[in-house]
Amino acid sequence: MNCPELLRTQAFLDGELTGDAAREAELHIATCDECRAFSARAAELSDAMRANITQHRAPQALHNRISALLDKEDAPVAFIPRWRQREFWTGAFSGIGASALAAALTIFVMLPPSAETLAQSVADAHTNALMSGKVIQVASSSHHTVKPWFAGKVEVSPPVADFAQQGFPLIGGRVDKVAGSRAAVVVYNHGRHEIDLFVWPDKGARLPGESTRHGYHAIFWKNGDLNFAAVCDMEGAELHKFVNLVRTESD
Amino acid sequence: MPHLDAAYNLARWLTRSPTDAEDIVQDAMLRAFRAFDGFRGGDAKPWLLAIVRNCWRNAGADAKRRAQTALPQDDDGGLVSTDPDPEAIAMDASQSRKLDEVIALLPNEFREVLVLREMEDMSYREIAEITGAPIGTVMSRLARARTMLRERWTARDLV
Repeated sequence: MNCPELLRTQAFLDGELTGDAAREAELHIATCDECRAFSARAAELSDAMRANITQHRAPQALHNRISALLDKEDAPVAFIPRWRQREFWTGAFSGIGASALAAALTIFVMLPPSAETLAQSVADAHTNALMSGKVIQVASSSHHTVKPWFAGKVEVSPPVADFAQQGFPLIGGRVDKVAGSRAAVVVYNHGRHEIDLFVWPDKGARLPGESTRHGYHAIFWKNGDLNFAAVCDMEGAELHKFVNLVRTESD
Repeated sequence: MPHLDAAYNLARWLTRSPTDAEDIVQDAMLRAFRAFDGFRGGDAKPWLLAIVRNCWRNAGADAKRRAQTALPQDDDGGLVSTDPDPEAIAMDASQSRKLDEVIALLPNEFREVLVLREMEDMSYREIAEITGAPIGTVMSRLARARTMLRERWTARDLV
């Protein structure tokens, strides 16, 4: 390890760099033999690990034993005070075992987010990305680059197409979160506006349809087992035009 | 139970033993349950994995203490190490056929960052939180871990 940029190269490979930092790292790799070799080895190793390594799963017996132990725990006082709807939780769960409560909490956590949460979450993710300058993790106008980039990073494979001819050129992608779910974000340009197309697995959430938060306009829809949201600060009509393009492409 | 598989996978890779892993996870889930109030929201997975790692560290410290008190007159008593010595690692690794075995033989601080990054998909920041190490240390350990793994894995082919 001699190249002083090696850790930055690694950070780039691990998807830790965005925007300018990512572009600089990419340029450096192209010109540095050591970093190029490191990248190739790291990619090979990562592939080998993902293909060959054992991902252990908790045995059912352990699962059962822990459930039984949690049942014996005292009434979960610690759980309750922080919940805003204290009465609801105390009322709803008095008299049942703690693991039932834990299970209920899990279900609560895994319940599809409400339309309100989704609208807020997508707008937050979009503004956070804009403010931090981390809109793009992979910069490319080619869907041959952007689409495979998502493999292994998110559990969905989003439709990616370039709509440059129609005025919405593809500029790249990133991984983000929508209400706790990992989402692929395909990023497009329209004039001076950036459009984020969020794609995440459908978990039965009721989608908001259309929403506006802090001046950002979002359109939600569902296709097969995927949820979509297009977010931008431009007016509704233009965003609808974009959504129609995507829907025609992916339907 | 959310993230139980991730907790078990990490414990399994840290302890390298199914029975120890079960003990650690059981301990960790109980602690997580009791400490849920201290959870400040966000993603619960790194939070739980940090508890798993702490339980593992504590269990290791306990074992060391027991070894020391049980064998006070034994000169090696205090030196019972949970890590195989580097020579043995290199030898074993060069002979093992499986990537699994090479990883299992990496020293603790390198094995944990590798498992958290490559298997549990944790970000640098999350790994730093889980292991209590600064991000810079996480980055250099990860680079070291990859280099070591690579060397030992290819050395295996030469035998």
